[in-house]
Amino acid sequence: MNTPLKALDEMIRLTSPFPESVSVKDWKATGRKVIGWFNPYIPEEIIHAAGMLPFEVTGNNEPVEMQGAEAHMHSNCCSKIRTCWQMQLDGKYKFLDGLVSCSMCDQDMRLFEVWAYYKKLPYMDSLYAPRKRDEVAIKLYLADLEDFRSRLSQYLICRIPDEHIANSIQVYNRGRELMHQLYELRKRDRPPVAGAEALEVSKAAARLPRERFNELLEQLLDEIQRSGREIKKAKRLMIIGSDLHNANQMAALETLDAVVVVDEMDIGIRRAWGQVDTQLPPMEALARYYVMGRPVDKHTWNSDGRLEFIGDMAEQYKVDGILSEIVRFCTYDGWDKFDLKKQMEQRGIPILEIDLEYGHPAGAQVKIRAEAFMEMLESRAS
Amino acid sequence: MSNDKMLSIDEILAGLKKATEGVKKQPGLMKSIVGYLDVVSTYVERIATAKEEGKWVASHGTQQPLEILEAMDVRGVFNEFWGVVSDIVRLESVPEAMSVSASTGTPGEVCSFFRNMDGLMHAGKWPRSDFFLYATSCCDNVKAFHTLGRRYGIPSFGLERSYFPYTDHAMEHWKNEYKRLIVFLEEQTGKKLDYDRLKEVVARSYRLTELHLEIDKLVSHVPCPLSPECFSGTLVAIRLLPGTQKGIDFLTGLRDELKERIDKGVSAVKDERFRVMWTSFTPFFDPTLMGFMQQKYGAVSVCDMLSHWRGDAKWMLDPDDPLGNLAYRTVLAPGNCQYSSGVDVAANLSDKARRFKVDGAIFNNNFGCKTGAAYGPIIKDELMCEVSVPTLTLNCDVLDHTFVSRAEIESQMDSFFEMLETSKAYKERRNLQ
Repeated sequence: MNTPLKALDEMIRLTSPFPESVSVKDWKATGRKVIGWFNPYIPEEIIHAAGMLPFEVTGNNEPVEMQGAEAHMHSNCCSKIRTCWQMQLDGKYKFLDGLVSCSMCDQDMRLFEVWAYYKKLPYMDSLYAPRKRDEVAIKLYLADLEDFRSRLSQYLICRIPDEHIANSIQVYNRGRELMHQLYELRKRDRPPVAGAEALEVSKAAARLPRERFNELLEQLLDEIQRSGREIKKAKRLMIIGSDLHNANQMAALETLDAVVVVDEMDIGIRRAWGQVDTQLPPMEALARYYVMGRPVDKHTWNSDGRLEFIGDMAEQYKVDGILSEIVRFCTYDGWDKFDLKKQMEQRGIPILEIDLEYGHPAGAQVKIRAEAFMEMLESRAS
Repeated sequence: MSNDKMLSIDEILAGLKKATEGVKKQPGLMKSIVGYLDVVSTYVERIATAKEEGKWVASHGTQQPLEILEAMDVRGVFNEFWGVVSDIVRLESVPEAMSVSASTGTPGEVCSFFRNMDGLMHAGKWPRSDFFLYATSCCDNVKAFHTLGRRYGIPSFGLERSYFPYTDHAMEHWKNEYKRLIVFLEEQTGKKLDYDRLKEVVARSYRLTELHLEIDKLVSHVPCPLSPECFSGTLVAIRLLPGTQKGIDFLTGLRDELKERIDKGVSAVKDERFRVMWTSFTPFFDPTLMGFMQQKYGAVSVCDMLSHWRGDAKWMLDPDDPLGNLAYRTVLAPGNCQYSSGVDVAANLSDKARRFKVDGAIFNNNFGCKTGAAYGPIIKDELMCEVSVPTLTLNCDVLDHTFVSRAEIESQMDSFFEMLETSKAYKERRNLQ
């Protein structure tokens, strides 16, 4: 049993209870605003530069009963957006002053619309993020970002200056750099943190004031270096697919003789990869980073780069197998399945596909399949 | 796995020919049904004969500037239409294609228009395509075009449309996307676009729009002169043969027949009890449902979301700027304007409910459509709030008739129309006590 990490415990304390946590209450107590967001193409830097707390709207470690949500969105919407809407109906997100979304994922956009229609917040905004990765796409996205900045400035009755955005870019770049360092440590034969722990770190990044998060992550990395902490498990796994915020689910998986060393989720590795170019005008730099600077994701029409990235990461992190978790009704993941499996087979990387509902714990069925997968990995090794 | 029920293009053509002969002998149908089936057959035949005539074939989705294809001798295979026509010719084809799709690992929750295409391609029954074209502002399923293109080695091009397309920068971007499309098509075909020809095609396309709007006015007449067999005739002409004389001739004939029916007092049904609006797609999965509703409940389908022009549809802004006109046209056009905000769609439908004097709405909640799954309730609530029109939500699959039983649908309709008849709003609208 490894010793607990004090900095991680502090991150969890500050982000609990979820979502209206200790840090959210502290923030609001000073009269400052919180803006919710729920798509990885919303640049938190702009909200941060406006002096507001960007807060990712998600579910968390417990499943949510969703009967109420289905009055406003049918059950063939993905369970992630139904979970978020149910939490709103349950009054969990009443601390939000505003909400921003993006049409990159149609489900995210629909959650935004339902929110705007049935429970309008003082500030509601949405962006278009392109599904192509080229110069034309950057130009289109930049125009939308500028409109977003103008509308947010109008809400504040104060122009958000370039200097503030440049400063926020530096803060967020530092966070990415630190998260990247944590990912690098997980390449070790015996990684210092479990996948469930790393997931809690990633979640905290979008729930804490970023300066505080950076401080705690620096402490965490320092603790890891000093403690010589090691996770001793036989198999190394990679998790890919839909964003999952249920760390209990990952922890349940890690009760088997396996550790998750890397992922391919928007809330994981994409939050830690790349840097916004500080030599460019800040808004352009943001547009370039969000469109081109991160690993290709499932929302991009041409997902060749995504499949290649998954394969490369699996090799770099020396994983024994990949768990592809798809939240039902995620169209993007669905269309990548066939080619993903084929390409990983060509690389000799076994893959287990699991369809699930967002937020649900790793139930018996999932566990049985994971155990069988582990046995298969074991027999391959011997 | 069996694939003998899946339709090939030749079987579709043969089925349409048989249907045309059949309707000619059937009494009581609108004359325009022959023209309707002729438009559909011509579309399919043009695809079948493309290669021997030296033309190209592009499989595509919604929001395409079809006039550019027409002007460049590229014949489109609209993937959604292919599923619809399959249901018309042989209902068993789509479920079998979808089971083939499932066997490749494609999840059952994605849109059936694409699963049908996936299955037919896997079985080698999809029309031979030189390239894929796609576009979206929100529907996530169009990623399938790139994915399938990669799988089968077919080049593809995607058009990026802003979610809110009416800003200056969004419209400029959309127009520029057309220029990029033209470059792609010129590379693929080795032919340059003739802009004079494009202008002519665009002018004919605008004539189709004008006819569509005239027909809409006639259809809004009480009682409704349009029978189910010709429902969506306008959409068929505009989506399948845009910018063609054949499309114009068909809509001219349909318009004249509707005028004549109104003059002679001929309506879709003798006793029109309910006027129904379909707030998503019409029941493609069951081509006989509209006729059944008319017969059993006196419920006439008067309008739907797909055959809807946003605003006043005056998209011919400058005859010398065909690309600018088309950029505007495609965001306003039937079958395209729903790719936006649910509140916007709901507002347009409320307006349509007023114009067509609608009593009740039916929302087909397509299992594979995430867009509709979330904006269905907004549309329902907005219609009730703004125009006192209640909605029946039918859980279904857009193409697969096996998803929900006919008995289940009839049972829900029984209750819905009974409720509608006794509602206060209905009685007020019909001046009943």
